[in-house]
Amino acid sequence: MYKLIIILLLGCFSTQVMAQERVMTASEISAFKTAVIETSRASKTIKSDFIQYKHLDFLDNDIETIGKLQFKAPGFVKWEYTKPYVYSVIFREDKLLINDGGTKNAIDIGSSKMFKKLNDLIVKSVKGDMFDDNDFTVTYFITDKANKAVFVPKDKKLTEYIASFELLFDKKEASVTEVKMIEPSQDYTQIIFKNRLVNTTINDAVFTQ
Amino acid sequence: MRYLLSSVLLFAVFSCSPKILKGLEEQPSEISQITNPYFADTAQDYVYKAKIDVYGKYFGGILIIKKVNDTSHRVVFTTEFGSKLFDFLYEGNTFTKKFIVPDLDRNIIVNTLQKDFKILITEKVDVQSEYISEIPEILYKTEFGNRYNYYGFSDEKKLVVILNASKSKEKIIFTFQRTNNEVIKKLRIQHLNIKLNIDLEYLNK
Repeated sequence: MYKLIIILLLGCFSTQVMAQERVMTASEISAFKTAVIETSRASKTIKSDFIQYKHLDFLDNDIETIGKLQFKAPGFVKWEYTKPYVYSVIFREDKLLINDGGTKNAIDIGSSKMFKKLNDLIVKSVKGDMFDDNDFTVTYFITDKANKAVFVPKDKKLTEYIASFELLFDKKEASVTEVKMIEPSQDYTQIIFKNRLVNTTINDAVFTQ
Repeated sequence: MRYLLSSVLLFAVFSCSPKILKGLEEQPSEISQITNPYFADTAQDYVYKAKIDVYGKYFGGILIIKKVNDTSHRVVFTTEFGSKLFDFLYEGNTFTKKFIVPDLDRNIIVNTLQKDFKILITEKVDVQSEYISEIPEILYKTEFGNRYNYYGFSDEKKLVVILNASKSKEKIIFTFQRTNNEVIKKLRIQHLNIKLNIDLEYLNK
């Protein structure tokens, strides 16, 4: 029994150590931002696989989806789910091109401020370069494994959907490794990027339907 | 195989506004209650890819149904990206909108969806009368507010269709294609009085 308590205590202690993080100092923030912006500017194309976890507190298991992301400067993004269903969205200029398992749909986002904002947000978060966005209060942390930026929306309307979202950055590469969007209910969507390839050739045809 | 054939046939038959309630032959019913087993397991997360066609406008998403305890269900709809569009809670006969995006928060939309999912998750219903039919083989008439739900069972005693109808007209058709266990593989909710179709496909891991 005694041993069990020690193990439990140690367990708690070690998870606390694992999750340890501290707020960045002003000079760390400035160095971190510079590194991220540099990485972002140098990334003319990005290819990455990802796993998305949708967490709902009442479910036994998170909903797991696998996909691929392709980005090409200045602002073309193809976000594609491949498993367990096939679905893709292309963000291209003022258009959102959706292909839902063969059903194609184009949405003109030119007239919608909300969609423009969304598009902007996606492009920026893929690149990681969104610290100067006036719509969010940003706090910076250093954890054992990564640098972390937490964005809390200022707009009251937006806070009805998003409590905050967090971007994790690789310490060396200053590139985004994880995005977590937390809802006011504390349910969240977590996207973990893997196999990131930078500046390989991506044909423009990828961003057409 | 036979079951598969009959469910495919059901999908085909019901896709074109049927009048299967016409000329039904009533027979004495031996059972007083029927069971819809499809969303009844608290250990199961029911997760579906949804395709919704409303007045020719099409959109997709993920529909999640979960029986959270003996008397309650959660029904949540999200975009493919994971953002919640609505979150409904059914506790016995009480319905609560836990969350809904403003664009969808209109009485006609909420009432329609609320009713559709209520029919889907209701497990035990008292039988009013029983009819012999062709496909499905047997229909049980039950009361649902000021309308009726007809539960259609195949010759293998599997629930394959629910028809929601007024006294004279069919209003909503729910068709089920089952997997080997008690999980629906494909489900269609077809509204006959408004142009709304909801197609659901179970997401296997």
